[in-house]
Amino acid sequence: MIGEINIYGVLFPPLLIWVGLALLLSTLIRRGVAAAGLYRFIWHRPLFDLCLLVMLTGLISLTANRFF
Amino acid sequence: MKPVSFIPRFLVTLVAVAIACFIGWQLWVYYMDSPWTRDGRVRADVVSLAPDVTGPVVKVFVQDNQSVQEGEPLFQVDPSRFNLALAQAKAALAQAKAAESKAHATMLNAEQNAARYAALSNSATSAISRDDASTQSLEAKAAYEASQAATAAAQADLGVAELNLTRSTVRSTVNGVVTNFSMKPGDYVSRGTPVMAIVDTDSLYVDGYFEETKLRHIQVGDKAKVQLLQGGKPILGHVQGFAAGIADHERIAAPTLLADVNPTFTWVRLAARIPVRIAIDHVPTGTHLVAGMTATVEIEPNHKDKQK
Repeated sequence: MIGEINIYGVLFPPLLIWVGLALLLSTLIRRGVAAAGLYRFIWHRPLFDLCLLVMLTGLISLTANRFF
Repeated sequence: MKPVSFIPRFLVTLVAVAIACFIGWQLWVYYMDSPWTRDGRVRADVVSLAPDVTGPVVKVFVQDNQSVQEGEPLFQVDPSRFNLALAQAKAALAQAKAAESKAHATMLNAEQNAARYAALSNSATSAISRDDASTQSLEAKAAYEASQAATAAAQADLGVAELNLTRSTVRSTVNGVVTNFSMKPGDYVSRGTPVMAIVDTDSLYVDGYFEETKLRHIQVGDKAKVQLLQGGKPILGHVQGFAAGIADHERIAAPTLLADVNPTFTWVRLAARIPVRIAIDHVPTGTHLVAGMTATVEIEPNHKDKQK
């Protein structure tokens, strides 16, 4: 996405916002996954969590780029 | 719940890593390789207008931030002196014309005299008198030619006086907007000293300061999308050209004639920014461009060229 996100006069690059969103979302998903007991299928939990964050960031960012 | 064996657990994680790597790579390409920059500026040519004559200002026709057309009067320098100069030049021309008529008459008379002397026989006149008359005739002709030249000079002086009078009304040379302007009747302006800035609105363009690493993805003619910091719909344009050179920060102008190069520690290097000029093709209605605005510039690489 080109352009900036303006928060009360401070202009942020959108990627920062997308990463923040992805972090929030990934926390929720991780809790869900843990509650459902699906971490049984995961070999290396921190590695999977990192991958989840990257995937979410990418999805949010590349989707947002289509629309803005 | 019974524990899952190693192989499926490993495979699920591996798939997640693979997808993350792919998406991460896409992100990297988008943000690092694709030609875009957040360092863009809207620019325009600015005319620093100076009067061609010196004198006090008597009338100001425009005000700050006013749009002006090419040829529109902006202000007037007191024309009284130029009117007087014009009258003077006209009188001088009349004088020169009179002098020319007189010289013409003298020349005709001298020529007739010379002709008469030439017709007389040797017993009636001397060779000396004949030569004198002929010399006088030539002299009168030269005086007449000089007076003709003086008339031409007076004519030219009249032209200068007329030009000064015309130039006492200062006109805009471009279509643009008068900016940062304050002038009142009574201000004294001097010839050649700029007194007002006119932003040439016909010349608005965008300069994108691209990192040199991204430059190889940009070609002249590529389409460009310019997003102003203020938001709104993007401005469309195309790449018009690249700067041919930028100043070298590491090299200082030394008082000696030798090169003075900064001994920099170049472990982390910063890419130089190269101005790429974007010609504006389409401005969305309602967007008001001001020279100096910040913009994000995104170039759409020409895919046909990439395939080659």
